[in-house]
Amino acid sequence: MGSLSINTIVEFRLQLRFQADKRHSSYLFTSRRPSCFSGIIAGIRNRLRRRRNTRVSARVDNSGESKQQQQQLNLSVLRFTFGIPGLDESYLPRWIGYAFGSLLLLNHFVGSNSSTTPAQLRSEVLGLSLSAFSITLPYLGKFLKGANLVDQSTLPEGNKQIFIMSENLSDTMKEDLAWGTYVLLRNTNTISVLISVGDVLCIRGYWSTPEDATKTHMLDWFGRQVQQIGLSDLKDTLYFPQRPDSGVWEMLPKGIRSFLVQPVLRACKLGGNGTEKTIQGFILLASSMSYAYNNRDRDWIGAVANKFRGSACIDL
Amino acid sequence: MEAGALLRSISWIPIRHLPRRCLPIFPRSLRASSDVQGGYRGPKPKKDWVADWVSNNDDTVRSLPIYVGGLSLLAVLFNRSISGIAPVADASSSQSRADLLTLGLAVTNVLTGLVWLSIRPKSISVVNPQGVTCQRIHYDLPDYVVSELLWIWESLSVATCCRSLIIVYQDNCVLQIGVAAESSINSGDPIIVDTTKLVQGSLYESVMKSGSQSYLANLSLYPARSELPFLPSNTQAVILQPLGDKGIAVIGGDTIRGFTTSDQAWITLIAEKLDSTLSKYSNSLTLATQNKV
Repeated sequence: MGSLSINTIVEFRLQLRFQADKRHSSYLFTSRRPSCFSGIIAGIRNRLRRRRNTRVSARVDNSGESKQQQQQLNLSVLRFTFGIPGLDESYLPRWIGYAFGSLLLLNHFVGSNSSTTPAQLRSEVLGLSLSAFSITLPYLGKFLKGANLVDQSTLPEGNKQIFIMSENLSDTMKEDLAWGTYVLLRNTNTISVLISVGDVLCIRGYWSTPEDATKTHMLDWFGRQVQQIGLSDLKDTLYFPQRPDSGVWEMLPKGIRSFLVQPVLRACKLGGNGTEKTIQGFILLASSMSYAYNNRDRDWIGAVANKFRGSACIDL
Repeated sequence: MEAGALLRSISWIPIRHLPRRCLPIFPRSLRASSDVQGGYRGPKPKKDWVADWVSNNDDTVRSLPIYVGGLSLLAVLFNRSISGIAPVADASSSQSRADLLTLGLAVTNVLTGLVWLSIRPKSISVVNPQGVTCQRIHYDLPDYVVSELLWIWESLSVATCCRSLIIVYQDNCVLQIGVAAESSINSGDPIIVDTTKLVQGSLYESVMKSGSQSYLANLSLYPARSELPFLPSNTQAVILQPLGDKGIAVIGGDTIRGFTTSDQAWITLIAEKLDSTLSKYSNSLTLATQNKV
C-alpha cells in the first residue's frame, strides 16, 4: 500500500473531497431545457436517481425535490450555469448587487438634469438597501443546511510539501501515523496536517518551513512552536473557520484560511505500580478554504484522534 | 470574504465531545510526558452569531429573500402611485431608471429565495432497528486487533448512522456488534452469523468480484436482503465493504440513504487499514502453526 510506505511523499490531488464541486443557482428563464445542462452536473453517484423535473416555479412546496443525502452531496437538481468552469453562480446575487448599486449611484449623480425629487430619493434608498442585502445573500446561504461548499481549494504559494516523522518509532506507530495523515489529507479539505502525540511529531502536507532545513531542524522548529503556544495541553477542540489576526500561529503555512485543532486525550495506567499518567497530544489540520470543516468532518477527525488515543500508550 | 469582513467575526461552533469508551489497557512500559506546560496560551475562537442564527432558523432564512423582494416590488409601485407618476416602465427619466434598477434587484432576491427553497434537503426520519444489542468478538484475537475493531465501531457509530456492524474475515465472524436480529431459537439472544451461507450468497460474490464498496441505500428494495438475516429486520441502509479479497464488513444504518459520500470514502479507507491489520495477524498465525508443525 502506497499510503503505508513512509519514505515516499504522497502526491495528492487538489480535488481532495469526494463529494461535490459545482453548485449552480437556477433562474427561471433557463430552466426549461433539461438536456442542455444535465450533462454539466458532475455525476459521481450513479446510484441516486437523477431528478429532471425541478423546474423552479411559483410553487413553494418542495416535497420530493431533493434528498436528505444531498446535505453534503452534489445535488442532482437542475441549475443554471454559464458553463464557465470555476465560476460560482451562487455568487450571482452579489455581483448583481454591486452592479446595480453602482448604476443607481451613477444615475443619481449623472442621470438627472433637474434636482432629484423625493420620490426618486425614496426609490434610490430602497434600491441601495436591496443591493446591500443581495451582497450579503451568498454569505448567508453558506450556513444553510444543504449548502455545498464549492471546491475552491487552491494551493497557496510559498509552501513546500514535506513528510517527516520523529525518530525511533515502532513500525506500528509509523504505520498508524502514515495512515492517519494520509486519510486526513485525502478525505477532508486539508492541505497540511500535524499530529503530535506525547513527544512524537508527524508533519505532512504543504508547510512553509525555513529553507534548506534538515529533518531534525524542522522537527525541532515545530516542536518549539508547539511548546510556545502550549498546544499539547489543549482540552477542547478549536475551530477557526476564518483566520485570526494574531500572529501567534506563525508555524502555519501561508495562505491558510481555516484550521482546526483536535486534542488527543488519554490516561494510561501502568500495570506494575498503578501510576496514572496523562499523555496528551493534538491533531492540527489546516485548509486553504474558509469554513472548511463541517460537523460530520469534525466527527471523523475526532475518530482519527481516538485512534491515537490507544497508540499513545504502546511502547514507543 | 468581503461580507465576512463586513461582519468581522471569528467563528466558533459548539463541538460535541466524543463519548469515551473503556478500551483494554496495555501494560507496556510508559513514556513519561516530558514537558509540564502552563496550559494553552493561544487565541480562542469567538462565537459567530450569524452562523448560529442561520442554522437555527433555516426555514425562515430560506424564504426571507422572497419576502424582501416581494415587499420591495410593492413598495416601488406604491412609491410611484403616491408621487403621482404614471407607472410606465421606460428609461426616459431618471426616476424610471432608478425604479427599474430596484425592480431588477427585487427580482434577483425573489429568485434566490426560490432557489434556496428548492434545494432544501428533505429530512428523513430515523428508524430504530428492532433487535438485541450484542458485542461478540472472536475469541482468539490479540489485543491490538480487538482495540482496532472496537475503535472502528466507535468511530462508525458516532460519525455515521451505523447501528450494526459485522465483520467476516477468512470465513470466520470476527466481530458482531451493535443491534442484531433476535435468534428464533433462544429469544433474547442475538442471532449467530452463518458465515458459510453468507460467503456462498450472491451479495458476497458480487462484492468480491467488483472489489469495491457496495451501497444499498434503501434495503427494502433489494430482494437479496434475505442473505443478511443477522441484521435487524428494519435496517434501512447497508454498506458492504470488502476487506481485501478475504473478508467483508457489513454496516447497517438506521436511515434511508443515511451514508453520505464522505462516509463512504472514510469507510473505504478504514477498511484498507483493517484489512492490513487482520492479514498481519493471520500471517503471524500461519507462521505460528507452521512453526508448531
